[in-house]
Amino acid sequence: MSSIEFKNVSKSYDKVEIIINLNLKIKQGDFVSLLGPSGCGKTTILRMISGLEENSEGEIYLDDRIISNPNQNIFMAPEKRNMGMVFQSYAVWPHMNVFKNVAYPLKIKGFSKSEIKIKVFEALKLVELDSLSDRMPNQLSGGQQQRVALARGLVMNPCVLLLDEPLSNLDAKLREKMRIDIRRLQQKLKMTCVYVTHDQLEAFSMSDQIFLLNSGQVEQSGTPDQIKKNPINSFVKNFIS
Amino acid sequence: MRNISVSHKILILISFLLIFVLCVYPYLNFFNKIFIESFNLKLIIKVFTSSMFVKALFNSLKLALLVSLLCSLVATPLAWLLTRTNLKTRQIWKKLFTLSYAIPPYLGAIAWIKLCNPSNGILNNILGVNFNIYSITGLTIVLSSFFFTFILLNLMDTLGRMDATYEEAALLSGSSYIGVFFKITFPLIKNSFLSGFFLIFLSVMASFGVPAIIGIPGGIFLLTTQIYTYQKLGSLSGIYMSGILAHGLFLITFVLIMIQIYLQKKSYKLVSGKSSRLNLIKLRKSQPYINIILFILFFIIFILPILTLLISALSKTQGIYSFKNFTLDNFKYLFSLNETLRSFRNSLILSSSVTLICLFLGFIFSYVVFTLGKSKKQLINFLISLPYSTPGTVLALAIIFSFGGKVFGVNLGLYNTIGLIIISYIIKYLYFSFKTTEDAFYQVDISLIEAAKLSGAKWHHILIDIWYPMVKPAILASAFLIFLPALSELTMTILLTGPGLETIGTLLFQLQEYSDITGGTASALAIIVILLIMVLFLLFQLLNLVIKREKI
Repeated sequence: MSSIEFKNVSKSYDKVEIIINLNLKIKQGDFVSLLGPSGCGKTTILRMISGLEENSEGEIYLDDRIISNPNQNIFMAPEKRNMGMVFQSYAVWPHMNVFKNVAYPLKIKGFSKSEIKIKVFEALKLVELDSLSDRMPNQLSGGQQQRVALARGLVMNPCVLLLDEPLSNLDAKLREKMRIDIRRLQQKLKMTCVYVTHDQLEAFSMSDQIFLLNSGQVEQSGTPDQIKKNPINSFVKNFIS
Repeated sequence: MRNISVSHKILILISFLLIFVLCVYPYLNFFNKIFIESFNLKLIIKVFTSSMFVKALFNSLKLALLVSLLCSLVATPLAWLLTRTNLKTRQIWKKLFTLSYAIPPYLGAIAWIKLCNPSNGILNNILGVNFNIYSITGLTIVLSSFFFTFILLNLMDTLGRMDATYEEAALLSGSSYIGVFFKITFPLIKNSFLSGFFLIFLSVMASFGVPAIIGIPGGIFLLTTQIYTYQKLGSLSGIYMSGILAHGLFLITFVLIMIQIYLQKKSYKLVSGKSSRLNLIKLRKSQPYINIILFILFFIIFILPILTLLISALSKTQGIYSFKNFTLDNFKYLFSLNETLRSFRNSLILSSSVTLICLFLGFIFSYVVFTLGKSKKQLINFLISLPYSTPGTVLALAIIFSFGGKVFGVNLGLYNTIGLIIISYIIKYLYFSFKTTEDAFYQVDISLIEAAKLSGAKWHHILIDIWYPMVKPAILASAFLIFLPALSELTMTILLTGPGLETIGTLLFQLQEYSDITGGTASALAIIVILLIMVLFLLFQLLNLVIKREKI
């Protein structure tokens, strides 16, 4: 498991600045939420961590290593970062069954068939899907598909697990259960998790650390308790009330 | 580009090179050979001032306009009837009327000559009239009976997707149904109407088979058949004259496309992409009458010509209708010819190899365009669509000049080989597979690809493991769009063919033109081709059903 650090990171599209001079530190083994209204840049930050987007300015560190610095022409491609990601739309490949979906990252890394089988079932057990390994995605419910995505993100033993609004397409009851399950899993595996959400309930119930974002900048960061007790300004106060 | 690996860059480079060689080089080289290397002002002036050119140009434009108008008149109400009313039989009619899309028009020409030739036309005899098929009117009817599907398919697609609330709003404002059509519906579908209209116009300008089979015997030359005639003179000046004239035709085509783009830019884009509920206009008592009218129309454009070919193919003596006259001799004679089996073999080799190559290139090129983003999309789209909109006659000449002899200084020796025909088909049909596959790329949820990236997959893993299975249905769908027209291609093949290189199309042309004007051999071959196409058409429909079911 690893830590992540942003130093003076900016990101702009067509000269519009989405992220402005951002500094943040994500500690190893922490569950960190990026919380904020839509358009605040939280997903962009997540995508810069994963390498799906490249920052325009500043440095991004994975542990002690610079993984992106446009000025020095450093950029580690997403396929080399060994990060797991769970997408809002699940992104479960519809033409592969549950087993193949979860096995794919291992297949790419060249694991043997027997190793793949052991690791895939380990991951599927974690998300309680080991009995459905030969189902196709279209035979699964939304919640089950999200678990497949989670297992796929976990199976390669990633240095960081990134979650992009993973629960927003689920119904309220399931959301609550998944929230507890994900947090339990994270604590069990002592995994660094970065969790993007606009739902303050999710952020406050799951996180060790929250970054509250607005218009590409951090308004306040801290533990859920710190933020709740001492909202730093009216934006934070309004957002969490 | 920094994030793109070296192997990926090489793929992009090779793709650009191939697109250049296939879609740009033939045009540049053709122009260079005709107007720079062997520039001959006298010959150029001679071609463009000859009465033959003026007549051919006039005939081409006149015929194109007549066919486009007739098709619009028939197809517009038909499209409306089949999408916007509660006509119970509309699903069946939709299928039936689009059938003629699959059949090459020159088969219709052969049939209509039997029906309406001035000396012993069957229809002339039955109706007691003397209609001469070898005329502009004859050409208009035969071409329209095939090309009207272009406008029909376009309009049915748009009308089927159009948001009905526009029309409902007008109805509620007190407008009549007719008023709504002209004031609301038509302005909204103008774009798709125009693109259908221009597609027909350009298709007539580019058509060869029907004008050659019906027009030439009647002394009516179009630009395409005039180019062909120059080419078949065989002399060097004949070949150069055909090359010069081909540039004229190309220029006219280009201008027409520009006019179309200009007109379409000025019209509305109000049709939503999403399907919405349609308000079906209720037809009650008129349903049976409409069905009768539709049946008559279908009978004239479809059943009658095929029936004629069938009877002719099974007749000992042409023009006598009794069971005593029944024979299979025409088929026996057909298969006693060496050329017959050879032409089937050649056509099958050609269409299957071309289909495979086009599907592969279409997939790779759409992948490259997709990864490069929107800025390169338009240019590549334009380049690949260029040969598709170029008249086959022009393209075939450009290909002879560009790939027939030395290619970039290396003599490939492709002239009079099947290789040259394969290249020409690839260039012509690549657009079908490219366009269909490219559209499919844009419909894939991008997070499926990003998920693979984060799983550690390199670009070639993603291409094979994710992209290919995701766009496979589109690739398969375009296979049919290439295989069928390639199987019966005539326009380009007739200029590129050589000894031993008969295809189904050129054999039919030869049987009709030279050896067998009144006999049944051409009809026998035509019937076999139609059967073959029908079987393939059904197979494709089944395949489509299977794919759709898999998707669900």
